Amino acid sequence: MNFSEKLEGGKFLVTCEVAPIKGVNIAKVLDEEAEPLRGKVDGFNVTDMQSSVMRLGSLPVCHLLAQRGLEPIFQITCRDRNGIALQSDLLSAYVLGIRNVLILTGDYVTLGDHPETKPVFDLDSVSLLKVASTLMEGKDMKGNELDGKPEFCLGAVVNPGYDPVELQLIKMEKKIRAGAKFFQTQAIYDLETFEKFMKEAEKFKVPVLGGIIPLKSAGMAKYMNEHIAGISVPEKYIRMMAEAKKEERVKTSIQISVELIRGIKSLCQGVHIMPMGWKHALELLAATELA
Amino acid sequence: MLVTQLKPEEEVLSKISGKRLFIFGCLGCKELYFPKEEVGKFVDSLKEEITGRAILDYLCNREFVKAYVGEYSKEIEGAELVLVFSCGVGTQVVSSLLESKLVYTGCDTLYLNGFQGLSVRNFNCNQCGQCYLNYTAGICPITNCPKGLLNGSCGGAKDGKCEVDPEADCAWVLIYKRLEKLAKLDTLTEILSPRDYNKNITEYLSQKEGVK
Amino acid sequence: MNETNLIDYTKFKLKPGEEIQEIFGTVARIFIVHCNKCYKRFEREDKEEEHNKLLKILGKDAGKIVGRIGVDFLCNDFLSSKELLSLDLSDCDGVGVISCGIGVQFVAQLLERKPVYALADSMQSANPTSGVAYHGISLESEKCAGCDQCYLNLTGGICPIVNCPKGLLNGPCGGAKNGKCEVNPNIDCVWGEIYERFRKQGGKLTLESVQIRDYSKPSLKLKKTLSLQNQNLRGEGFYGGLHPLEEKDQTKDKRLESFPEPEVAIIFLSQHTGRRAKPSVKVGDKVKVGQKIGEADGFVSVPIHSSISGKVISIEERIHPALKRKEPAIIIKNDMENQLDSSIQPRKDFESLSREILLKIIKGKGIVGLGGAMFPTHVKLSPPKKIDSLIVNGCECEPYLNSDNRIMIEYPGEVLTGIKIVQKTLQVNKIFIAVEDNKPEAVASLGNLLKTNIEIVSLKTKYPQGAEKVLIKRILNRDVPEKGLPLDVGVVVLNVGTIFAIYQAVIEGIPLIQRAITVSGESLSKPGNYLVKLGTPFRDIVHYCMKGEKLLNKYELKAGGPIMGIPQLSLDSGVIKGIAGLTVLRKPIVEVSEERDCIRCGRCVEACPMSLYPFHYAFYGKRDELEKAVKFKVENCIECGCCEVICSSKISILGFIKKEKEYARNSIKA
Repeated sequence: MNFSEKLEGGKFLVTCEVAPIKGVNIAKVLDEEAEPLRGKVDGFNVTDMQSSVMRLGSLPVCHLLAQRGLEPIFQITCRDRNGIALQSDLLSAYVLGIRNVLILTGDYVTLGDHPETKPVFDLDSVSLLKVASTLMEGKDMKGNELDGKPEFCLGAVVNPGYDPVELQLIKMEKKIRAGAKFFQTQAIYDLETFEKFMKEAEKFKVPVLGGIIPLKSAGMAKYMNEHIAGISVPEKYIRMMAEAKKEERVKTSIQISVELIRGIKSLCQGVHIMPMGWKHALELLAATELA
Repeated sequence: MLVTQLKPEEEVLSKISGKRLFIFGCLGCKELYFPKEEVGKFVDSLKEEITGRAILDYLCNREFVKAYVGEYSKEIEGAELVLVFSCGVGTQVVSSLLESKLVYTGCDTLYLNGFQGLSVRNFNCNQCGQCYLNYTAGICPITNCPKGLLNGSCGGAKDGKCEVDPEADCAWVLIYKRLEKLAKLDTLTEILSPRDYNKNITEYLSQKEGVK
Repeated sequence: MNETNLIDYTKFKLKPGEEIQEIFGTVARIFIVHCNKCYKRFEREDKEEEHNKLLKILGKDAGKIVGRIGVDFLCNDFLSSKELLSLDLSDCDGVGVISCGIGVQFVAQLLERKPVYALADSMQSANPTSGVAYHGISLESEKCAGCDQCYLNLTGGICPIVNCPKGLLNGPCGGAKNGKCEVNPNIDCVWGEIYERFRKQGGKLTLESVQIRDYSKPSLKLKKTLSLQNQNLRGEGFYGGLHPLEEKDQTKDKRLESFPEPEVAIIFLSQHTGRRAKPSVKVGDKVKVGQKIGEADGFVSVPIHSSISGKVISIEERIHPALKRKEPAIIIKNDMENQLDSSIQPRKDFESLSREILLKIIKGKGIVGLGGAMFPTHVKLSPPKKIDSLIVNGCECEPYLNSDNRIMIEYPGEVLTGIKIVQKTLQVNKIFIAVEDNKPEAVASLGNLLKTNIEIVSLKTKYPQGAEKVLIKRILNRDVPEKGLPLDVGVVVLNVGTIFAIYQAVIEGIPLIQRAITVSGESLSKPGNYLVKLGTPFRDIVHYCMKGEKLLNKYELKAGGPIMGIPQLSLDSGVIKGIAGLTVLRKPIVEVSEERDCIRCGRCVEACPMSLYPFHYAFYGKRDELEKAVKFKVENCIECGCCEVICSSKISILGFIKKEKEYARNSIKA
């Protein structure tokens, strides 16, 4: 079963993020980060220059994963390319064996290591979803006929912790109308907030995979609380990480993540793990008995 | 509204070093900001010979600049290059009147909110030519959102503040709140198609064609 | 002026018909606000083009329009808010705005609970690129992208960002055909022009290091800081006004010194508002210092006194420094004996004198307002309404002037006594002394003496803070009604020099025969603050204070400060009571003119402290349609000159205003 079929299956899905490197020695990365999870996750998200740091593109990495028989989810943002290039990349993705696409707006350029470069944002996530849907009908965004049609399973992102959350819900509905077939969320740390969100979102009847970012340290939690939208790590988790001895941190982190995953299991249709360089995804999956 | 800052000194010095100068200085758009003291200090510190100075307001007005060019023609002639402290408009006006003379600017120009020429305001207009204000309760998403998003916010706003500029409000949160007050939240459900970035050029082209 | 190159930078046009019809489909009753546009030559009265176009598009739906208003510079929030909030919008379900995006956003924020519809799209005039290109405060074709990393030094002064659709910084693309841009064949390839420019300069276009634009500039932080700085500067104290260079350092520390007595004094019979004095001496009479030589003619009039001792040698007409026409003056030749008239009798104090006696003395000693208007002070101190506040005006907001400043520094006790005298005549409780904060020594000097009900208010310096109506609004937040006077809001404002003259009149017995004058400006060898005998010829003063005689060629002499001062064409006139300063300035290279057209830049509206729209005065003045200016409330103008100073086309707006006000005055009489 491919990812798209699994979405309809009803099993609680697991996806995991793989970040391309700044450089070209990608094979090593795939060996170390993706291979161990073979058979244990339903899809590998490959980020598109996350945090606006210049890296190897998502497209070639997805292709390499597909070649290895590991199902990729191609993340594409609106930050760097205009409408022409984005459409081209989608066609290219299809030709290189990629079927799942996660469409998002993208971080602003000033966040990364090339703050002077020109931010494009020609399209936004909603319009790019629409464009992708149009390509699937055999036309480009200007109505020109394509020679052959790509087929995608399109996904989008939503942030359940956002305030006012209704704004995210309105946009979520627009994304569905534009063609989104699944959603992956920003990291969840507060189950109550997520429950409230899902109460509203379930009427859309589109699968949602709750995001989990395993904590590396108390400092990381505090930083995210202060700077990242929609993330609100509760005091108890910060304390747990702070009080844990250095050798215990991974275990504590897994403990927290397991608690969260158990919590969201009844609320949504899957979990999306974003390790952010944390090297223990396999252990986490084992602990949650999802693997 | 255009305002200027003094260029990094080394950058200017690399152009004028050792040359005889004539200086044109604008006073900035009156009552707006002009880096008078910095320019003054910089000019005073120059070791180069200065054949003369013309200081005037509205250096962007060709008629005025012409009058000064006439009045100081000898001094300008005697200079090897002309150094202008003014915004890009003023500098270009001066250099268009002194085409055979090396004309350099000592300033970088930036723009503040509130249309060209009128005073500084709280609102800005990107002159996109396809006004979206009817979909956003009168709050411009292009000038208030750094990403210029048209279909709602990105996920990045924290506590209603923009992820790019944490001191600014997220434009889409403001739009949402205002639509809520007006009981028009359904406006947000419409999917807006991508912007025509070149409306300006195509219109300019068609205008020119209509000109006799 | 080469007019063919001027560009119409109109910033908006009506939305396409279908869009407008769609909007109108959702409303039942709509009010229309339209901006009268900016940055296009003000050539004819607004014939409501956009509105007529709108009506045509709407057809039947035009019936949904319940009202409309045209606003000049809709984006001027201060003034436009006033206009819009005074409208009754209760019976409409929406407001349609025809303006650029700034106007729409402003109206939407102002009327937050009312749906606001944009009926126009913004547009960019004459811009061949996709980015925004800003013009200057002119209608010239040159524009700037505000990129904060100016490339003009590498391109011979031609901007590649604004003129190249691709914004190329390192030379042309390969697409230009016959020198024309491949994107827009109507324009020249800018890199071709740059190449040409270098050739004209005798050089060659050598592309320096590779240029990559830094799109993070201008930084948001810098923009915000500068915006806030500017808005604070503009909004300080009161709406409008300017911050001209103060130029007070030249004379602010110069002590008042007596100016040498004139050999001949030219004493005008009209040195006050109201009927001129009637001469009470004849040719050949000997006169003493302080002797009355002209009788007051009626209630609103004061007598004239001789400032020197000598002989009347003629009564003849001279060019009056303020009225600028020939006026009778008594010419006295100085005998240098300095004999005092017997009417000069000093007193120990004034407390025993009744209010009526004090007023009689003030009139009898010829006291008038020394701030410039020369209004008979005894009349001002006999108001028909109750006065609750007295404001002593020590602002001296014009550049260069320091005479009031020095009086406050050097004669604080006398000023205080003068205030007490005035307090007795007005029977007023609250007294303010208004001083601008560029005069800290004056504030300190007066501060040492103050008692209870007198408050010194140190105001942030801004021109024209010293104008009566502005000052009353600033200190008491009261609006003097249109065509009204300060007494209508219970206030009397007196210049601090007048207060000093009152002290001298009552306590020292000296009539108004001398006053403090600041002589300042450019190329003066002896600038300073002088106590000058009235009637001293300008020629004497110019010769004393300035080296060389080439005055009227390259310089001009203004009676007063540089902004409101009256240019003097002849040096054969003499000092009168209302002259607080003589300012010598180099003639400007570009003079204000009546010929230039307004470009609707809106700066005069930003600067007018009376919230007027001065550009209309220029428009109608040029067409000699003076009566139309009255429609725009020209009678409320206080002639501060801010509009003329800030005018980007250097139009003599103040000149037009004076003509229009005179017209209004005469038509009332008629």
